[in-house]
Amino acid sequence: MRKMLPVLLTALLVLSACSAKPSTSTLKVFNWGVYIDDAVIAEFEEKYDAKVVYDNFESNEAMYTKLQGGEKYDVLVPSDYMIERLIDEDKLQKLDFSKIPNYEGIIETLKGLPSDPTNEYSVPYFWGNVGLLYNTETVDLADLEEQGWNILINTKYAGKVFIYDSERDAFMIAYKALGYSANSTVPAQTEAAYQWLRKLNSTMDPAYVTDDVIDNMIEGVKDIAVMYSGDAAYIVTENESMAYFVPREGTNLWVDSMVIPSDAQNPDLAHKWINFMLEKEVALMNTVYVGYTTPVQEVFDEVTGEGGDYEGIEAYIPRTGDEHDETFRYDEDLKRILSDLWTKVKAQ
Amino acid sequence: MVGVKKNRWFAPLAIGSVLLFFYLPILIMMIFSFNDSRSLTGWSGFSTQWYEALFKDREMMKAVYTTITIALASTLVATFMGTITAIGISKSRKLIKELILTVNNFPILNPEIVTAIGLMLLFSSLSITKGFYTMLIAHIIFSTPYVILSVLPKLRQLDADTAEAALDLGATPWQALFKVIIPQIMPGVVSGALIAFTMSFDDFVISYFVTGNGVKNISILVYTMSKRINPTINALSTILVVIITFALILINVVPNMKKKERISIE
Amino acid sequence: MKGFANLVRPYMVWIFGGIVIPMLLIVLYAFTKHGNSVMAFQFTLDNFIKFFDPVFVKVLMKSFEVAVVTTLLCILLGYPIAYIIANVNEKIQTLLLLLITMPMWINMLVRTYSWISILSDKGLINGFLVYLNLSPIKMMYTDFAVILGMVYNFLPFMILSIYTALAKMDKAIIHASYDLGANRTQTFLRVVFPLSLSGVISGITLVFLPAVSTFVIPKFLGGGQYMLIGNLIENQFITVGEWNFGSAISMIMAAIIMFSMYMTRRFDRDIEETSKGGGVVW
Repeated sequence: MRKMLPVLLTALLVLSACSAKPSTSTLKVFNWGVYIDDAVIAEFEEKYDAKVVYDNFESNEAMYTKLQGGEKYDVLVPSDYMIERLIDEDKLQKLDFSKIPNYEGIIETLKGLPSDPTNEYSVPYFWGNVGLLYNTETVDLADLEEQGWNILINTKYAGKVFIYDSERDAFMIAYKALGYSANSTVPAQTEAAYQWLRKLNSTMDPAYVTDDVIDNMIEGVKDIAVMYSGDAAYIVTENESMAYFVPREGTNLWVDSMVIPSDAQNPDLAHKWINFMLEKEVALMNTVYVGYTTPVQEVFDEVTGEGGDYEGIEAYIPRTGDEHDETFRYDEDLKRILSDLWTKVKAQ
Repeated sequence: MVGVKKNRWFAPLAIGSVLLFFYLPILIMMIFSFNDSRSLTGWSGFSTQWYEALFKDREMMKAVYTTITIALASTLVATFMGTITAIGISKSRKLIKELILTVNNFPILNPEIVTAIGLMLLFSSLSITKGFYTMLIAHIIFSTPYVILSVLPKLRQLDADTAEAALDLGATPWQALFKVIIPQIMPGVVSGALIAFTMSFDDFVISYFVTGNGVKNISILVYTMSKRINPTINALSTILVVIITFALILINVVPNMKKKERISIE
Repeated sequence: MKGFANLVRPYMVWIFGGIVIPMLLIVLYAFTKHGNSVMAFQFTLDNFIKFFDPVFVKVLMKSFEVAVVTTLLCILLGYPIAYIIANVNEKIQTLLLLLITMPMWINMLVRTYSWISILSDKGLINGFLVYLNLSPIKMMYTDFAVILGMVYNFLPFMILSIYTALAKMDKAIIHASYDLGANRTQTFLRVVFPLSLSGVISGITLVFLPAVSTFVIPKFLGGGQYMLIGNLIENQFITVGEWNFGSAISMIMAAIIMFSMYMTRRFDRDIEETSKGGGVVW
């Protein structure tokens, strides 16, 4: 043992020396899972001689909690309502758009969003809506068209439904199914939505999933799934019997954008990252790999045009201009109430 | 042979069924790590693509490196600290002994998640950035109690007279410690170190709560990757299974071979 | 040699900072409000009151239910196996023990994950059933899957604990029982089983504790809706961000577990030796 000790200690020293490389610039990015083409990260690191520490979160809420716990990042990619909250709480810094010339190429309708009306804090990354992915062979399109979101409490499909484990999306669906606004703060409506979800939970035997729904639906494990448009676009290319449907009651139109927290340690590199993501080649790689709709106009035109990867795929082009579609707004009290109620729905 | 003798076929059937139960998922995982497609249910042909992908995957290699380094480092510290503490405990007053052993039991008796959140709260309150070092500290904290519990029984069984004899023969207390006590408790130290290593290598819950800064160990990586079907996980696991099998065979066969040598020499 | 007692000093400091303080912090957070930063604490019992909502209590009940079922299954399946191994000849014993413990060395997440592809609606078992023209069974996201996952992960511990107790048993007592005229069944029921009880008890400790508090197995095999107390706590800390409520739940769970453990240990005097010895089986 005594002879082993010096050997072990030396080994440890060598190992730790290997990891202590001279510090080049480090960029810490916090993003959704499977939301980037990994090759893009490598390209960025090479181009800017930097090291990227890339971390994932499963939901806006989990991201926020991580920040609360003291984690510092340079770039975050939250959804619109979460950005609204962060701006409200003074947690973001204003962007220096002179460092983001590629911003010019952003689709016009994605500028001046309700979450950041003066366009000072965020730059769009991906956008889309929420809908139902269904198996054309086992689900009646007529049912979908007639019942919309209420098909999720249609016991005809009991045991064959995937629900996304996201409190805001679940409540949005409930609100819309009942004809209310997804941002409703009326207690009676929230209570009704809660009851609707409880009914779903107890009569439909749903499975609550997050990203694991993607591979499950490619394998056709269930017949209907609540799905983000980007994932739907990907699945539809992998499984031909699947199709995407957006109910007439309306849905949530969302935009995930890149922001820089106020306590970012490398804001300069962060700006470079944001600009890099909007470069035509990079945005193209990302959207083709991930499946979500790109905010860069030129790339959007290319992939939806002739010969493009997403030509003819409805899921890729979120419908705009429907008056029933809403973007989420942030409301502190509503958030707390929904959090609680959602935990209770699942705990049933 | 003791006790009730059941029919001849029962025992092999029972053991066989249990072993099948234990090894079925492992075998399937190993088989599908060579699958040509991404599917975990349909076989499309033999391929080593997932192994290639594994070694090219930066995240995975980083996680493996992190896991090994933390396991080695925490085992070293925990074994050292645990052993000297156990020795100290055996020489302490009853009150101190009881006190330390009671607190020492907390990480063992508490559910992992409670230890995990306690540590998370600790690091957050002190505004310590979570990452590699917090994971290392956490691993040392939960491993050391096991080392202590492994070494203490050996100390109790120790023949106190041998150490006294050494002192009488003119050895200093430190010499007595290193030349008499430690060799005798070595089996306890070694098994304590093994337990510490395994617990650190396999840890998920505590690591998950105390890490940050993109630092992940293998368990955390599997957890985050499990959302999408990723046969590279199967490839990594297969490699681990093979290594573990070798290690276990070595540990069990080598001592037997040495025994045979000694016997044949005699 | 007395001076060696001082060797404990570093560890005392270490465990004070590393074990005592974290526990105190949990208590602190459980009894205060608005405490995601160190400042601004106010004493409150709200976190505990919040827990006594029927929905949350049901989660606790369910966790105990699942843990009890798992433990019972582990005993029912584990005892015969441990018994058989203890009575087989020595060479095979070592081999069997090795085979039983080997899976424990493989990462728990990986082992649990592999079950998903076996139990899935379009997975291996159902694929086999369909091949035989039988209708597929729903296994994923059910109680069955979660309990299966738990038994799979914890059974080795039970087997080892019981085996250790059986192996340590003094054979002379058993021979004495035969000499006094008892037959095999009587010997087993009246001599062997009672003496092996300490192994069963220590096995219960090793299975019940993780079974009641785990969150990975329900998450993988039960889906997002399968909420056990461990999931609830994880959810509060990682997603919802309510650290105070989460701490209160942890305290309640820890208190109940400690109470159950205390009650089980009172049935056994031997447990200290057995559990410490058992830990060194590898």
